[in-house]
Amino acid sequence: MELTEAQLDAMKELGNIGASHAATSLSTMLMSEIYMTVPEAKVIDISDISEHFGDEIAALVVFEIQGEISPGGYVILHIPKESAINLTNTMLGSNDTDRELNEMDESALLEVGNIMVSQFLDATATLLGVVMLPSPPAIAIDMSHAAFESIVAQVAVDINEIILFKTELKSMTHDIESTIVMLPDENTLKTILSLLEKIIS
Amino acid sequence: MEPSKKPEIRGTNIGIGEFKVGSFVMTSIGLGSCIAIVLHDKRKSIGGVAHVMLPNSNEKMDRPGKFADTAVPTLLEELKNQGSNKRDIIAKVAGGSSMFKQFKGNLDIGGRNIVAIKETLSQYNIPLEGEDTGGNVGRSIMYDPGQNGIIVVRRADGTCLNI
Repeated sequence: MELTEAQLDAMKELGNIGASHAATSLSTMLMSEIYMTVPEAKVIDISDISEHFGDEIAALVVFEIQGEISPGGYVILHIPKESAINLTNTMLGSNDTDRELNEMDESALLEVGNIMVSQFLDATATLLGVVMLPSPPAIAIDMSHAAFESIVAQVAVDINEIILFKTELKSMTHDIESTIVMLPDENTLKTILSLLEKIIS
Repeated sequence: MEPSKKPEIRGTNIGIGEFKVGSFVMTSIGLGSCIAIVLHDKRKSIGGVAHVMLPNSNEKMDRPGKFADTAVPTLLEELKNQGSNKRDIIAKVAGGSSMFKQFKGNLDIGGRNIVAIKETLSQYNIPLEGEDTGGNVGRSIMYDPGQNGIIVVRRADGTCLNI
């Protein structure tokens, strides 16, 4: 997979718009400021995924991209375990940080994911002029790499590289870190790139 | 299968679709639906690990470690090249989870990987002497060819076991 600098830049801009909408919704939910990193877009080999996602425990809320480009790939909200606990504590009014994530946390995380990823997809789809909708979410609270590779197995059947397209969102007030990752499948990536080209030209 | 102390999982990591053969310590961290297939030479204290992602290569040979049907013969061939005798080689496998219960239908690649790897092993007459597969939990493994083919498995919930 060869992407030019201009294409990667266009992807980053797309990520910027999507993630800032997701950040606004998170900010409203937590009633605190959310800091957002500059989006990253890079092509990585599947064998190097472990350099980005290790075996530390995290919550991964996963959505399939549906709508006009379906099956379109996945959008993943990745929240490290401690952050996930801080996030649901903030929402549910608890202070207990020394605990495991339970079913109540799972539903809260599914809901947060739903709101953030809907905003993310809605903003990117509007910019592109297509309809992209999130599927009902799925969640895994497990080793990041284990959950992530199970999604990669869906999109990287014939390819050995994926485009890792991610933006970090942080709340300093509540000590929460999260990352939105978009994992388009090959056809979706082509569609997105050609739509972006039309917009730029 | 016996419980073991919490060991450090440290060694040369075999990433998704990769395979390695030798006498050094190998790891594969964060196995979800993927499978780590270990072929161990009981006599020579060497072995190989592949991090298999999918059941069938459909004749693609660019990443032999990526698919169950190509990973087994590739590891076997490499071991023979390093002087192994096929009758000394045994297999162990770990992984093949179903990580997302909500996506069970189309995401159960883990289950298909387990079936495919076992079929391939029996096709090549390699005895399967240990496994920790299935369920819905992630795993990291460590394999030291010098330790009689013992595979240390650490599950996401913190439990460790030797297979």
